[in-house]
Amino acid sequence: MLEIKNLHSGYNKIEVLHDINIKVPDGKIVVVIGRNGAGKSTLLNTISGLVKIKSGSIEMNGQKIPSAPHKIVASGIIQVPEGRRIFPSLTIAENLIMGGYLASNAEMNVRKEEVYNTFPILCQRENQQAGTLSGGEQQMLAMGRGMMAGPKILLLDEPSLGLAPLVFTQVFELIIKLNKERNMTIILVEQNATIALKMADYAYVLENGCVVIEGPGEELIKDARVKAAYLGAAVKTLKEPSPREYLE
Amino acid sequence: MGVPMQFSIILQQVVNGLSLGAVYALIAVGFALIFNVLKFSNFAHGGVLGISAYAGYIAANQFKLPLIPVILVGMVTGAILAVLVELIAFRWIRLQKGQLVYFFVTSVTMLMLLEQVLIIRFGASFESYPYTLVKVRVLQFGDVTISVTYLLSLISTIIAFSGLIYVLKKTKIGIAIRAASNDLTATSLMGINVNMVIIAAFIVSGMLGGLSGVLYGISASLSPQIGQIVVKGFIASVLGGLGSLTGVAVAAVVLGVLEVFLISTIGSGLSPVVIFLLMVVFLLVRPHGFAGVSFSDKA
Repeated sequence: MLEIKNLHSGYNKIEVLHDINIKVPDGKIVVVIGRNGAGKSTLLNTISGLVKIKSGSIEMNGQKIPSAPHKIVASGIIQVPEGRRIFPSLTIAENLIMGGYLASNAEMNVRKEEVYNTFPILCQRENQQAGTLSGGEQQMLAMGRGMMAGPKILLLDEPSLGLAPLVFTQVFELIIKLNKERNMTIILVEQNATIALKMADYAYVLENGCVVIEGPGEELIKDARVKAAYLGAAVKTLKEPSPREYLE
Repeated sequence: MGVPMQFSIILQQVVNGLSLGAVYALIAVGFALIFNVLKFSNFAHGGVLGISAYAGYIAANQFKLPLIPVILVGMVTGAILAVLVELIAFRWIRLQKGQLVYFFVTSVTMLMLLEQVLIIRFGASFESYPYTLVKVRVLQFGDVTISVTYLLSLISTIIAFSGLIYVLKKTKIGIAIRAASNDLTATSLMGINVNMVIIAAFIVSGMLGGLSGVLYGISASLSPQIGQIVVKGFIASVLGGLGSLTGVAVAAVVLGVLEVFLISTIGSGLSPVVIFLLMVVFLLVRPHGFAGVSFSDKA
């Protein structure tokens, strides 16, 4: 259980997040939606220790999480950052080694095998520079790199950004699979509200750094305010297949 | 049948150029390593190099150590000094998220500071490593005379770079240094303590700096201003394209050979002028340097 209590955080003198309260029960998918600049990435970066907490706390199982980013990773909270941020001049294999930096060699080999099974394309291109991959492949690598750390809680920042529909489906399928099969806790930040809310056990809507609406995913889809603001006409034109439908 | 005179001179010059280039390559790669990770030009590297060169000199002159221990003294001094420079001069600026210009100014200040330390201790005069350190001074191949100290620079550089490639490609911390060169923040998201990675980068850089200082001291001479050859490393780094260590090393060797030929043809007064002009022209044509790589973000 990850619990964010009365959190205020931001950069230098600018406070971005105001009094955030979020509960993330083990094994659940919690979704945070909101517009550009609402503070979604700041929220994940605060959890990851990249943005300083001004007041309030983030606790895992009743214990405050550490403040240094690398110690937070060691405690099992792994972020797959926005824009993927793979290491372009490293090979794919080396990117994965970095993902599993804290793992033992044995764990590393097992997880690498898993990543390659999930994304065979990464295995084929193991020794290629990651910067030469396409955007979709880079997202797969970023996810794979996150899996290498053996996360208890996986933070995903806009994994769908700029992806082709097919890759898009694949990424969301994987998120559901990690959650269902491995009981991995997931915090998903998404602009694509429809698909995210369908997967969500619970969801929060962030506006100007505050939580304005919260509730179970299915309820929020029906919520008039959410519909008006986040599930507008764009959804009808895009027509992404829902991963749940896809799996069934 | 002897090799024609002209050819033997050229061959000698090539070897001299390569060995000077090798020392430049050591300087340049040590310089570029820090640039890649922290994105500023670390001129303090020259100070580290200078003090290490004198540390090797003391080890050879006063403690009468043989060649290899002298080289090791230089490398260890370089590593320790580089870490101290990072802890004293750069870490605070980084923690305060200071602008790059602060790093730059601090690094130049550290160069001057370390230089002054040498001036206080040794005065402004020239010193040289004891002649007995390298016992056989020249090798004769027909008409071609090759200086052993030059050959020593060449071989030491090859060994050092083999070690460096191994560390950067095969060890976790080495791969982490390369990852940090790509994206320091993403590196911390991997559970890697970036402060440790930066320290590791300074250790490696300092070892290379120490080695280059001792080699330069043995094959040329020592003066407190020796640290200023970091400028050669800087030029080579820029020409090579700072992102690529291989490009930087190649550019440094080319620079060394070019310099030796220029000095023997137009003299040491004009040679730097020509080199700086060439650098300017080259950068107009290829702003990314020889091997500068840039990956565009993919949407």
